[in-house]
Amino acid sequence: MEASQSQASANAALNPHPNPNSNYTNNSNSILSSTPVWPTIDGPLGLSEEESLAYARRFYKFGYALLPFLWAINYFYFWPVLRHSRSFPRLRPYVVSSAIGFSVFSVILSSWALTFAIGGEHLFGSTWDQLVMYNVADRLGLTGWS
Amino acid sequence: MAQNQRPKSLLDSLGEEIIRILTPVSICMLLVVLLVSILNSSSSLSVTSSIATIAYSETGSDSSWDKFIGALLNSLVFVVVVTVATFILVLFFYLRCTKFLKIYMGFSSFVVLGFMGGEIALFLIEEFSVPVDCITFLVLLFNFAVIGVLAVFMSKMPIIVTQGYLVLIGMLVAYWFTLLPEWTTWVLLVAMALYDLAAVLLPVGPLRLLVELAMSRDEDIPALVYEARPVTHHDSASRPVQRRIWRERQNARLDSEDSSSLNSDLNSTVSIVQSSHNGARIARVEEGQVSERDAELSAPLIDRRMDAQDGMSTESLMLEGMGLGSSGAIKLGLGDFIFYSVLVGRAAMYDFMTVYACYLAIVAGLGITLVLLALYQKALPALPVSIALGVLFYFLTRFLLEVFIVQCSLNLLMF
Repeated sequence: MEASQSQASANAALNPHPNPNSNYTNNSNSILSSTPVWPTIDGPLGLSEEESLAYARRFYKFGYALLPFLWAINYFYFWPVLRHSRSFPRLRPYVVSSAIGFSVFSVILSSWALTFAIGGEHLFGSTWDQLVMYNVADRLGLTGWS
Repeated sequence: MAQNQRPKSLLDSLGEEIIRILTPVSICMLLVVLLVSILNSSSSLSVTSSIATIAYSETGSDSSWDKFIGALLNSLVFVVVVTVATFILVLFFYLRCTKFLKIYMGFSSFVVLGFMGGEIALFLIEEFSVPVDCITFLVLLFNFAVIGVLAVFMSKMPIIVTQGYLVLIGMLVAYWFTLLPEWTTWVLLVAMALYDLAAVLLPVGPLRLLVELAMSRDEDIPALVYEARPVTHHDSASRPVQRRIWRERQNARLDSEDSSSLNSDLNSTVSIVQSSHNGARIARVEEGQVSERDAELSAPLIDRRMDAQDGMSTESLMLEGMGLGSSGAIKLGLGDFIFYSVLVGRAAMYDFMTVYACYLAIVAGLGITLVLLALYQKALPALPVSIALGVLFYFLTRFLLEVFIVQCSLNLLMF
């Protein structure tokens, strides 16, 4: 069962590639020249292209509200858009900028977290004790299982 | 390839589906066992006062009979509260207040993910003295909770993200339940199994009313349910792409009964799959040898998924019970995840031997329930069989097997 399943998926994966030169502008409408390529990572279980556009735009905009994970979800979810970059021209800018935004954010956050963790008391002095999480939890009584 | 010609048996379709539902259940149980063994090694005797200990708080010095009566009272109160809440849910669903249910669902998911998740993360941080500062922690927790709320009830996310968050919610609530006193936990499990049996199978049961309402209106039940990814079969593939390719291949081999009609079918299939919404449905009709079950499995996943998106995402209370989703995939209520994990977590508080025994019992019970589901094709309670086997095996292991194994090990006989 596994062998024939992987064969079927391999067939599906091979199919988009032999068609780059035929009339292959829009994905799900020209059947004889291309196979439907889905913009989401879930394939046919995911979203159509119009909905993907709405979602990608919404995720990108909300990511600015201190939600970089939305950018990561954008990048991860619409990964086929980057793989078949010619077939989704409207989605691509959002996905690419989400990827850039997420990497910028993770660089900033990890540098701060690593500085905090490695620097420790030498670098921060007494404020380290005030900022570190387990002390904050103790002070505010957060682990008392309210 | 000879595999494509083999007639489909119950085992073919059931095996993959069983695996796809067993994996998240096992992962949830494993996570709860890990949490319990890490965080409860310092056995804290502090009893959390919650709704499940409202009638009686167990202290270490009561006699067994008192503890038993107290546990019985506690679980009775809990079952009554759950029944009332489920009836209220049925009422809201009947009055079509889906917006309110959605808001409540989102709120409760946010509380569970944000607060309970945060507290458990704090426990872990304190246990391992992780030097993370509060800004990073708050940002990460905020992101985690918001994405979780979105994934579970509001928007369409990658399936694996939604499934992962459901497993996490189950793990968090199950860990919270394992903090209850011991007798209360066991009696509560048995009481919930009996309640599940009654609520799903009795004609007056709230869950059965809910299922019938949802079926009559052709909506999805507003609850936290885990839906396994639907299994695509080769001869009834949901993707029009795969269907066309498979028929091309079979066409080349020409050893099927209706091979002569395949050519014409191929052309008509090709012209039909243009509309991506209806492709799967119409192509399904063409294949005469597709059985009823395959038809359900290859049911229009594409448009059903997108139409039922809103219906599927209205959530409120956790629903026990197992059924078939609108796309033919197996759905398991999050309450089942939670109570299985509570059982295994409580077993982990005693010893790992009971964990293994209870895990095998629960998996066996789940398999039996799935077979019953395949036979009866209607919503079934998933708790009773597994909980019964789990509780039985826990007590057998604890009182009979452990003595045997320990003595054998001590005398260097076995193990």
